[in-house]
Amino acid sequence: MNQKNNLIIGLIIAGVVVMSVNVDADPRDFAEGLPNIGIMLQEITEVDSSLFVTAFWSMLETIEMAFIGTVVGVAIALPLSLLAARNLNNKFVYVPVRALLAAIRTFPSILWAILFVIIVGLGPFAGVLAIIMYTVGFIAKLQYEAIEAIDADPMDAVGAIGVSKLQLIRFVVLPESASHLLSQILYIFDYNIRQTSILGLVGAGGIGFYIINYIKFFEYGKAAVFMLVVLATVLIIEWVSVRVRDKYIVKSQRGMQVKS
Amino acid sequence: MQEQKGSSSPSISTLSIVQMNDVSASYDSKNYVLKNVQMSITRGANYAIVGQSGSGKSTLLRLINGMMNPSRGKIMVDYKIPNTSDKKFKSFMHKIGYIPQNLGLIKNSTVLENVLIGALPRVSGFNSFFKKFCDLEIDNAKKILKQVGLQGKAERQVYMLSGGEKRRVAIARALVQKPEIILADEIVSELDHVTAREIMDVLAKAQATMKLTAIMVHHDLQLALEYADRVAVIKEGEKILEIGVEGDRIVDFQSGNFTQREILEMFSNESKE
Repeated sequence: MNQKNNLIIGLIIAGVVVMSVNVDADPRDFAEGLPNIGIMLQEITEVDSSLFVTAFWSMLETIEMAFIGTVVGVAIALPLSLLAARNLNNKFVYVPVRALLAAIRTFPSILWAILFVIIVGLGPFAGVLAIIMYTVGFIAKLQYEAIEAIDADPMDAVGAIGVSKLQLIRFVVLPESASHLLSQILYIFDYNIRQTSILGLVGAGGIGFYIINYIKFFEYGKAAVFMLVVLATVLIIEWVSVRVRDKYIVKSQRGMQVKS
Repeated sequence: MQEQKGSSSPSISTLSIVQMNDVSASYDSKNYVLKNVQMSITRGANYAIVGQSGSGKSTLLRLINGMMNPSRGKIMVDYKIPNTSDKKFKSFMHKIGYIPQNLGLIKNSTVLENVLIGALPRVSGFNSFFKKFCDLEIDNAKKILKQVGLQGKAERQVYMLSGGEKRRVAIARALVQKPEIILADEIVSELDHVTAREIMDVLAKAQATMKLTAIMVHHDLQLALEYADRVAVIKEGEKILEIGVEGDRIVDFQSGNFTQREILEMFSNESKE
């Protein structure tokens, strides 16, 4: 640890303090507010179990929305990522595509949801469209980065045969980046379920609609039912994705490390 | 690079498939990795290029298949100037099997899929998108897998193979191209003595039966002399020798100035460096 590092760390800490004052983030408020958690926890324990059926069906709707959004989003993102990769295209192609993707990523999904509620009206469809937009912006970026990080050797070896660009993509780029893509799809699906859960806040369907409304009316016990269902779902998805990851990704990556 | 035609300068031998006149190459326009290389490789020859690492021998292969362009001088490969954007040369690229040092295999694909990549120039864009190859191509690929000693391993994932097997896959991919030239970059450098010779035997056999021109870069002069008709020795980007074995003696084809003992001494010094 040298002097320069100390100075940088000191400056960062000073920055956090100054900015906290600036945005009115006072730790004392947190301490004073702690008892409120007790009240809330107490109300949460008064779970209204008759709502579990509603919660189950609205969770199913949420998962369906996330699933459609993920699948369609990835399907749109994949060709865009191929166009945005600098090792496959010249700058007249990748610069505009990247700009488009950056523009899509500027909005968080909740803002897309508001926009689509205005366009297609209240309901799950607006939420699905929002998830698609978010997925496109996110997956396309991660995937073009993965494509650019592909081992140059296979590209070189197959490119030297004089194959067409489509053949190069089909036989080198896609297989070499497939495990990366699968890993990202699992992550974004997991993430999409969680973010679809809050899109109900703006009337774009899903389980969040119930959660926000019960919280608004201080019915924490009822809201808790829905949150428990979300929690259970996220845990199940997590478990499934770990299994898929083990089967298809970890294995092949271990294989890659095997040196002659 | 523009002068595709009118390239029949008298110095170009009609027998040679690769002809280099005063070729220099550099990656950063300052330091030349190759300097004024003269090289003439006869059709059907088994040619080796030997040198220390960083001597520019891999660059030589990349100049031949057009993956790199020379900064100075002229190269002719099958009477064409290697240039990947030139249509005529591009169709000749289908006939150059290139095996880079790290082989360039697709690790998450099967052996057969890797090998069929060599057949892609003969497959339409539509069919190749769906990985559809006609039975003829698949049979041919399997025949070549057998030829390189990989029978029964067509469906294996490449990342599960041993180092020797991976090299056989790379050779098979190149042979499926039905090549006229095979370029191999240090294909046996990382292998043990026995496996290295097995791989070299596979290549030598293919080269003889399929009447290919083989141009191989090696680290080991002994091995190169054992298999090649001619060996070019590159040192710091310059070709310092072109030698071969005739009978039981080493002959210097380039200048005739070196005796066998001198050449061997030169090399014992090289390897000590």
